[in-house]
Amino acid sequence: MLYIHQTTCISAQQTFPNRELETLHDATGNKLLAIEPSYEGIPKSALRRMSKPVRMGVGAALPITGHSTELDGIIIGTANAGMEDCFHFLKQMVEYNEGLLTPGNFVQSTPNALAGQLGMLKQNKGYNITHVHLGLAFENALLDAVMRLEEYPTHNYLLGAVDDISVYNYAINLLDGRFKAEQVPGTGLYNSGTPGTIPGEGATMFLVNTVKENSLAKLVGLETIHSKDEAEIAHQLKIFIDKSLPANETISLLISGENGDSRLMKFYTACEDLLPATTGIVRYKHMSGEYPTAVAMALWIACGIFQKDALPAHMIKKEWPQSEPGYILIYNNFKGAQHSFILLSNPA
Amino acid sequence: MGKIFVTGMGVISAIGNSVAENRMALAAGKCGISQLELIDSKFKQQLPCGEIKITTEDLKTKLQANTKGITRTTLLALHAFGEAIKDAELTEEILSAPGTALISASTVGGMCLTEELYQDAQKTAGGSEYLSSYDCSSIAMYLQERYQMKGHINTINTACSSSANAIMYGARLINSGRANRAIVGGVDSLSKFTINGFNALHILSAATCTPFDEDRKGLNLGEGAAFLVLEKQEDIGNKKVYAELTGYCNSNDAFHPSSLSAEGDGPFLAMKGALQQAGLQPGNIGFINAHGTGTQNNDEVESKAMLRLFNTPPPFASTKSNVGHTLGAAGAIEAVYSILNLQHQEGYPALNYKKPISSTGLVPADSYKKMQLEHTMSNSFGFGGNCTSLIFSKA
Repeated sequence: MLYIHQTTCISAQQTFPNRELETLHDATGNKLLAIEPSYEGIPKSALRRMSKPVRMGVGAALPITGHSTELDGIIIGTANAGMEDCFHFLKQMVEYNEGLLTPGNFVQSTPNALAGQLGMLKQNKGYNITHVHLGLAFENALLDAVMRLEEYPTHNYLLGAVDDISVYNYAINLLDGRFKAEQVPGTGLYNSGTPGTIPGEGATMFLVNTVKENSLAKLVGLETIHSKDEAEIAHQLKIFIDKSLPANETISLLISGENGDSRLMKFYTACEDLLPATTGIVRYKHMSGEYPTAVAMALWIACGIFQKDALPAHMIKKEWPQSEPGYILIYNNFKGAQHSFILLSNPA
Repeated sequence: MGKIFVTGMGVISAIGNSVAENRMALAAGKCGISQLELIDSKFKQQLPCGEIKITTEDLKTKLQANTKGITRTTLLALHAFGEAIKDAELTEEILSAPGTALISASTVGGMCLTEELYQDAQKTAGGSEYLSSYDCSSIAMYLQERYQMKGHINTINTACSSSANAIMYGARLINSGRANRAIVGGVDSLSKFTINGFNALHILSAATCTPFDEDRKGLNLGEGAAFLVLEKQEDIGNKKVYAELTGYCNSNDAFHPSSLSAEGDGPFLAMKGALQQAGLQPGNIGFINAHGTGTQNNDEVESKAMLRLFNTPPPFASTKSNVGHTLGAAGAIEAVYSILNLQHQEGYPALNYKKPISSTGLVPADSYKKMQLEHTMSNSFGFGGNCTSLIFSKA
């Protein structure tokens, strides 16, 4: 059984170190760029050498790894951490015609650079892994943590996700039709009726173990699916709920991964239609932007809801009657091909 | 924990296009490291590599894989995957069953297409057919779609230990009851990107690599893919079985982004943890397929870690002297070789070895030998301090 104990989030909103979600920070140049902290805890010499995803990941992880609890391992999900360095190196290679190149960018270009860096900074020689399965990279990291805790019930793991908007991935993904051409400020994202979404970036970290006491949230169920068929997704959601949700319980709230891409609405509608009329709906991609591991921020939001943190009106798509949600469902969808359901319960 | 068996294998490398061809080449001490023919790099004449001499176009034809945007990396994976599932007699139905997982690993992914990637990243309109192919996950996504797979799918990237971790993750999915079987492995193809990257680190050898030799000059890059079919004991029936996967452990060296600590804590803990998991003593291991890249740093540290754990290490060698360092594919390719050690009760020699590393005095297995083997170990260590060891046992 996995319980979340601490969580931090660096995002395009004011989420780190303090949380203030009421004021919505809009995109600049159609990108929801992270509001980066001053990274007080990272030695300046190390900070200069870090790429943005490594910097954000280490920054978000430091308050967690700095806790008195000893870590037994580091489990990271990321789709494109390292891409910025990858492109810098590629550029060097082309411009200098495979001449004398500096290896710094090459070494940092592998997505496991963050987990490796965290292992070094924390002097943690335990389990260390990086899942990179695009829109299900974080879900696989979460599942890995679940399995590790089944295997080693006394362990504590640092679990996290990071992705950034690099020049490289923005250009490629824009050409691939992932982003909107027009400006869509704030929640206007959801009413645009056009294909594409708005890119975002961020780092979200968790301390997870099997201890119920003082935990922020309990993971009740997790499912990942590859499919392009909304009927199949609805069918799988029904099976997931039947399997994971205890009898006589209802889902208080859906945290929807809706991202304003008109091509994906059919999936979200199919899932919403399956839920009871009393289930509320919360959206967050207008705050985070879309990136392959954005779903980790939904988990951070769910932890806040269980701690009774107020949610601003701009996040609420549909109100719910319960003041204290018991079960929260997170549905995410990446490019209409990779889907996940995460069910959480209030440990209180 | 139930037993997990390997029921199918597929491999393609610079020494052969099938498991049988690879075994013949290993036993014969064949080296597949040669001058580059298919990659247009400035270093073509200077830096030999373990190149598979089949063009990407020929692979497409052979595999009937003409989907737009398919890359050499995906094609090599498809080649090995196809052999593995045929070998394990997995039908279309079994492949698309919810209990069949696919765990892939890669470090280069579609970035073998260096030029296309560079061009695409500068464009504001148009774009090549490869826009969704550069990502490391594109390989598993292609296989998932081609075989209509509905089970758990994942991609792992821990640099040069990636596919050893894919094998470990698949085994854990089965042990936890989340999959009945897992097709696990990895792939990487040669690219100008990695050739220049490792060259900038000054760890590429201009001659054929000489793992565990005092005068080693660095590594040779290679390309290839390997997939293994892991199944639970109760599902196997009277199918042929190659080996049991008895031990696995992942540990971090927590020292440096691109080199191992002098003490080799990461390699030591990975090997020790795998032994613990398998319930074995160091003396039970009959042969080690070492990481053995041929770099100053790796071979000395790995030797010291082996000495620390085994006191007198069992026969060991590195097949990177046959196929080069295949990065994300290395863990899976060498897992296949470790299973071949067991299956045929034979040890493959370290090629080009002349004299022991002075600080350790360790001598690798330097000739082909028939051996009585019960358990073999395979080591994979990567950038970021990511170290993983696997143990296979005679079924």
